[in-house]
Amino acid sequence: MNPAMTVVVLALIWAAITGTFSGLNLLLGGAIGILAVLLLRRSLGPPRRFRQLRNIASLTVLFLYELGASAVRVAIVVLTPDLKSALQPAIIAFPLTVKSDAEITLLANLITLTPGTLSVDVSEDRSLLYVHALAFGTREGLIADIAGGFEAKVREVYS
Amino acid sequence: MIVDIATYAGCLLLLLGALFSLVAAIGVVRLPDLFTRMHAASKAGAVGGGLVLLAVALLCFDVGVAMRAIIGVVFLLLTTPVSAHLLAKASYRTSGQYRVNMVVDELKSKSSQNHRA
Amino acid sequence: MSAADILSWSTLIALIILGLALLISVVRIIIGPTLGDRVLALDLMTVIAMGLVGTIAIRTGLMLYLDIAIALALLGFLATVALARYIMSRAATQPDDAP
Repeated sequence: MNPAMTVVVLALIWAAITGTFSGLNLLLGGAIGILAVLLLRRSLGPPRRFRQLRNIASLTVLFLYELGASAVRVAIVVLTPDLKSALQPAIIAFPLTVKSDAEITLLANLITLTPGTLSVDVSEDRSLLYVHALAFGTREGLIADIAGGFEAKVREVYS
Repeated sequence: MIVDIATYAGCLLLLLGALFSLVAAIGVVRLPDLFTRMHAASKAGAVGGGLVLLAVALLCFDVGVAMRAIIGVVFLLLTTPVSAHLLAKASYRTSGQYRVNMVVDELKSKSSQNHRA
Repeated sequence: MSAADILSWSTLIALIILGLALLISVVRIIIGPTLGDRVLALDLMTVIAMGLVGTIAIRTGLMLYLDIAIALALLGFLATVALARYIMSRAATQPDDAP
């Protein structure tokens, strides 16, 4: 998205939040949007192509599905009478192939909100993401799960 | 008719959200250590709060208010993992007692070798 | 039963469930052995309180409550981040603080 698009989108969000789509209100939203873009111009990065909207949408759908599944799974674990056998907590080091700050942040957030995993820490050299698992199966299975699911999608979005 | 359907759906979402919040609270009390509790609070809690806000969006019949509620949901889903992650990182360094519960702990074996639990 | 009846009953039930959840999370704040547990329970409490305020918004029809709910979510996030940073800085000054 180029800066002008960002300002337009911000103005529309402003109008939606304040609840009135009058011209003056859109103008005020646009002014605030310009201010925000000016303040953040260094961290916004280079303009992105529009084609990636499809990848973002696909990531969002996957995320919402996994979020629902994870909430149900946590609920089942919490409500089992025999907690000791249902739980196998473990911390696994997940080797990161994505490198930039934004990608790691997005991946860590997604991991936290998906079934049975919670990101705890990133190693100093950004090569490992420490993931806490609620019910630990096998190390390889968990890593393959994340690498094939979210990490691939995140890389697509940022490619 | 469509208003009735929206009302029923909103009520369903509201009750589901309340139940997920209850499950999160039960989980925070029942689960044995801080990290497993964090699973309950971050996932079930975020979904519970988000569902209640979605119910507000469905039941208010006002575009502006609905947009605000949906932006609230997005905000909740963005911030919950961040705070859970920060809290997990902070408490991993301070509370040593919970580490004994874990089957495998690769973060620990990094900092002090040959100490796998 | 009309739609309005169902709305009023389900908001009442949701209020009761959320109140119960609030009480249960207070248990963890009281017994929580470490500061991290208490902060976690407080974080959950703000989310549940947000749900309560949202339910009240539906029940009364006053959408001003929705703004309160969103502000509460924001406040809870900031409070948790601040407390986590406090836990971290306390660990840095006293390395062997494990209770």
